[in-house]
Amino acid sequence: MLLAHLEGGEQEIYRGGNLMVRYIMLYLYFLRFSFSRAMEFRLDFFFRIVMDTVYYAVHIIFFGVIYRHTAMVGGWDFDQMLIFICGFFLVDAIHMTVHANNMWMLPEHVNTGNLDYYLIRPVSSLFFLSHRDFAANSFVNLIIAASMLTWAFLRYPGEFSTGQILVFLLLLVNGAYLYWIIHMCFVIPVFWTHSAHGFQMLFYSLKQFAERPDPIFRGMLRRGLTTILPFLLIASFPARTLFEGFNAGILLHAGGVSLLLTLFLLWFWNRALRSYSSASS
Amino acid sequence: MIPRLFFKIVNLELRKGMSYRVDFWVNAIVSFFAAMGVMYFLWDSIFTASAQGRIGGYTLEEMILYYVLVILIAKLVRGPNQMVGIADDIYKGSLTKYQLFPTPYLVFKYAEHLGSLLPAIIQLVIFGILSPLIFKFPDAMTITPITILTCINVVMLANLLFFALSLPLQLVAFWADNVWSLIVMNHFISGLLGGAMLPLELFPDWAVSLLAYTPFAYLYHFPVRILTGHIGHQQLWMGIGVMSCWILLLAACSWLIWKAGNKRYTGVGI
Repeated sequence: MLLAHLEGGEQEIYRGGNLMVRYIMLYLYFLRFSFSRAMEFRLDFFFRIVMDTVYYAVHIIFFGVIYRHTAMVGGWDFDQMLIFICGFFLVDAIHMTVHANNMWMLPEHVNTGNLDYYLIRPVSSLFFLSHRDFAANSFVNLIIAASMLTWAFLRYPGEFSTGQILVFLLLLVNGAYLYWIIHMCFVIPVFWTHSAHGFQMLFYSLKQFAERPDPIFRGMLRRGLTTILPFLLIASFPARTLFEGFNAGILLHAGGVSLLLTLFLLWFWNRALRSYSSASS
Repeated sequence: MIPRLFFKIVNLELRKGMSYRVDFWVNAIVSFFAAMGVMYFLWDSIFTASAQGRIGGYTLEEMILYYVLVILIAKLVRGPNQMVGIADDIYKGSLTKYQLFPTPYLVFKYAEHLGSLLPAIIQLVIFGILSPLIFKFPDAMTITPITILTCINVVMLANLLFFALSLPLQLVAFWADNVWSLIVMNHFISGLLGGAMLPLELFPDWAVSLLAYTPFAYLYHFPVRILTGHIGHQQLWMGIGVMSCWILLLAACSWLIWKAGNKRYTGVGI
């Protein structure tokens, strides 16, 4: 029955002549399966929501304690820091909801040879493997993170124009995209190393840079974190467009880095697929 | 369980920990310098902005020393993995095979946990030697052979305490399908309240007093402060007492959960 339903679904997807429509329909199927699967594990669903809420609380308390001893961190006061950190929570929640489960599973697909089943599908393998598993339980956290960002805006003593907020949100969405690309670049080496998680632990270590405001970093490290590994472009640069006013340079920088990293990811992914032997280990 | 068997399990796990050497070294080096880089730039900027010589009783050099030590000691206390082995055994039904082993299951798991600490010990030695060459430490160092010896003993107790803390959470796997979120939650909470993210002296006084009765304060902050010679005899024995009480309490809780869970366990797994 399920197989028949799936086959029917694929036919519907094929019928969609427009490529974009085909991908949107496919993604809607992913969503439907993910939500029904999440409902099977209700306690886990609840635990995941509590876990992410604890993660948010821990970070806010961390900065709350620091601001007991100083008025400014990297030139930002507590209200500004709150907007920045809630912006990061939103990016993180998007990543956890849309991509994180898929990133976690990719090494297993490569090491067991299960990747074959994904490579023969009539859609982009990169798209399919990055988006197949939508984390429905993290979706609730996405709503919580968005609410926290709204709260941080509402309690902010200053005012922002609608244009500023729109640019901020646009850059946050771009930040979520960059976050996925960087994470993917740390997973792809599994095609050569065949280790359990690729270099994902490295990614989680380095992601700490994205959780801190960019004005605190200097020198070569700062240059690296805004170009090669652009963790500072994820949430900190968007926050700067709010506090320092519209800056076309930031938009161009973020757009340029995103474009270059996209090209790099496509090249890296194709190289990895070429070296994939399909043998399980 | 005979000690020879216990150390055999430790030894097996030691060797397992050193497989995937490229991953190990890349992860070890990058994770240490990333954590230190973030903390160094953060505190450097805070000290510069506040124009204070001391924050929470720490100079910038003392703060950097604190973070170097806490990052290395936390690896010894937590172990390299997120300790989901027991939950996995329950969920997958592989707990059954351990019932044939000539050793109690939880002791076996603790031996495995101890064995997995070798990479953390290697990192502690290497980065412990390299750090003074890279970072600026306080001129008057208070680390002595006695504080090192005391710290080693307390770290062993803290390791047992962390194992005891995560044990009841893992045993929830008898009822829940996935307890990974609970383990990660424990990681976040113990990181903040245990002093891995911030020295506890920076918290408000009421919070510091309250934390002294929780197990968290003794996981990372306490061993580091012992090593740097900031804990007197009375505080040391009181700390060891609180740690021991929590270990006993958590062990009793785990035993009750284990008994109740075993009645539900079917051995089928997924």
